[in-house]
Amino acid sequence: MLESASELWGYRNLIRNLAQRELKAKYKKSILGWAWSLINPAATLLIYTLVFGTFLRIQPPVAGNGHLKSFALYLFAALIIWNYFNAAINGGMASLVSAGPMIKKVYFPAEYTVIAANLASLLQAFIESLILAGVMVAFGNVAPTFLFFPVILALLAPFCLGIALIASLLNAYFRDVTYIVTIGMNLLFYVTPIIYPLRIIPKSKAGIPIRTIISLNPLAKFVQASRDVFYGIKLPTVGTMAYLLLFSVGLFLLGWSVFSRFARDVAEEL
Amino acid sequence: MGNGLSDSDAVIVADGVSKKFRLYKDKPSSLKEMVTSLKGVHYEEFWALQDVSLSIPAGSTYGLIGPNGSGKSTLLRLFARIHRPTKGRITTTGRVSALLDLGAGFHPELSGRENVFLNASILGLGPREVSRAFDDIVDFAGLAEFIDSPVKVYSTGMYVRLGFSVAVHVKPDILIIDEVIAVGDAEFQRRCFDHLYTLKRQGVTVVLVSHSMAIMQDMCDRLAWLDHGHLAAEGRPMEVIREYIRHVDDQEAERLLDGESADGGAGSRRLGSHEIEFESLHILNAAGEQIPMAVTGEPITLRLNYVAKKPVEDPTFGITIEHENGTPLAMLHTGDSIETGTVYGRGHIDYRIPRFPLMPGKMIVSLGIADRSNTHAYDYLHQWLELHVRPGDDVVPRGLVEFSGDWTAPTSDETRELTG
Repeated sequence: MLESASELWGYRNLIRNLAQRELKAKYKKSILGWAWSLINPAATLLIYTLVFGTFLRIQPPVAGNGHLKSFALYLFAALIIWNYFNAAINGGMASLVSAGPMIKKVYFPAEYTVIAANLASLLQAFIESLILAGVMVAFGNVAPTFLFFPVILALLAPFCLGIALIASLLNAYFRDVTYIVTIGMNLLFYVTPIIYPLRIIPKSKAGIPIRTIISLNPLAKFVQASRDVFYGIKLPTVGTMAYLLLFSVGLFLLGWSVFSRFARDVAEEL
Repeated sequence: MGNGLSDSDAVIVADGVSKKFRLYKDKPSSLKEMVTSLKGVHYEEFWALQDVSLSIPAGSTYGLIGPNGSGKSTLLRLFARIHRPTKGRITTTGRVSALLDLGAGFHPELSGRENVFLNASILGLGPREVSRAFDDIVDFAGLAEFIDSPVKVYSTGMYVRLGFSVAVHVKPDILIIDEVIAVGDAEFQRRCFDHLYTLKRQGVTVVLVSHSMAIMQDMCDRLAWLDHGHLAAEGRPMEVIREYIRHVDDQEAERLLDGESADGGAGSRRLGSHEIEFESLHILNAAGEQIPMAVTGEPITLRLNYVAKKPVEDPTFGITIEHENGTPLAMLHTGDSIETGTVYGRGHIDYRIPRFPLMPGKMIVSLGIADRSNTHAYDYLHQWLELHVRPGDDVVPRGLVEFSGDWTAPTSDETRELTG
């Protein structure tokens, strides 16, 4: 692991180039280019606000400043987490196969393509969080808790990377994985309290404590943590952070070890 | 460096290296296919290399020779860390730069410039080092105008030029080059070899593969000859090449004795390794219709139909025509004039003759498909076919060839009075 870390540092320039490649390739041949990276999440936010906030009238809680009550902003704080998770998993999964022509011809550690895709998504998430912070300031919901958001991202990044490493490897062997992940993501989006607050889930149904089950999903905790710092302007509980740290480190180590074990001969499969 | 001792140290050591590949007959790439094909084994195992041990001294130029499929490229890939040995160990010391294929690891959507930076960063160069080397890279490749175009629009030659240029300008300690330089034009090849000599003088270890024994003898300090994945011989170029050529001749003699040279006429025989084979030679007229005989003075196309059982890279196609009396008349081959690319499956290649120049008669045709350097025969049909030529409408049949020149009217060079 220590060896990998020093190798990683030696290849930092490569990872930056790969990440730039991800960003450039994404909006190539589009007229608005980079602007799409902001238009896209803004459009999603608008549509969900219209459907779930206006039509279905899902009630957001009151924000931390005591009077702001906005479904759009309540949703925005959650979508930042979801958008990054979604982009890091899908981008990371595709990155290994799309770098196939290179991996077959020059040697470099294959996991760097996944790391680079993750960093590209991370940059996007960071920019979105700055915009959210700006909007919150405009609505008078300000607190130093915003500064805690990078800590949440720092836990979310290895969490996503661990999953993406495994997904990218599976995808290299079986292209079905792309479709399975698409379905899985769809399901995950709706079972995670993103467009709705956790409290609208019944405590239990047919004796199954579904609210507890849903709240145990680490992604739900990440979403809650982001809402805490931006919307509720309070820090996540120590318990939540410990829970997230456990999943973050665990999934990262799992992904990394699976990848190191099975990716050695990936050049023969791509 | 510095003292003589470390100069003779090996920078690449292969110790009992074997490499096994799986040749998938019908590779399942989805779970469904995998489940449905679980019952039968759907791949064959194939040992590309078996128990190869060698060491390459620092600063030397080391060559790998052997017929196609002998494991040369696999060994280079192992040196470059792209594949791992199945058994044994490979140790390399220093920065390894490899040009194994056209456009070593270029991303087709990115521009030449972006690819140079990406490629150089893979080889461990920092942005400042790349910027410094960038102009040299572009100059050497001669691609200044195209450097901001995506490399997918580049020609094969441009790919190779940029690939080679990046590979040699990243300050490698070890440079590994598969037989890719042969794709470029003669002028670029000359510059490549000049540059390789320069690197050699600077102490870079060069490992290369070539089918040209002349180049290998000229450039290399040591050679290894691989045969069916085994190390057949290793040592000084002269000796290894002599042994290799003797072995190749022996094999051809064996093939002849085995009677593989059946059919055809009296003097005909067939040789080669048959990854790709001729099926037939067709004569086509101007309208593209097949005709039984060539016609003097008419547009004629000679169509060679072939079938390649495996993908064959850049084969050279050749036709030799002799008169039945034994006079050699023409030797046509693709050689440097075109790049044939990779051929696979059934196909044809045409040779178009605007005015067929041979006078009527019976010609004897030999056909050949060889590798790019013309040293290894895939299929060679010696004096295999007869080509009959019939007179055209306005040709007086005499001599062997019809020149398509024109006479001009007489012009006097001096003024002389016509007297008496």
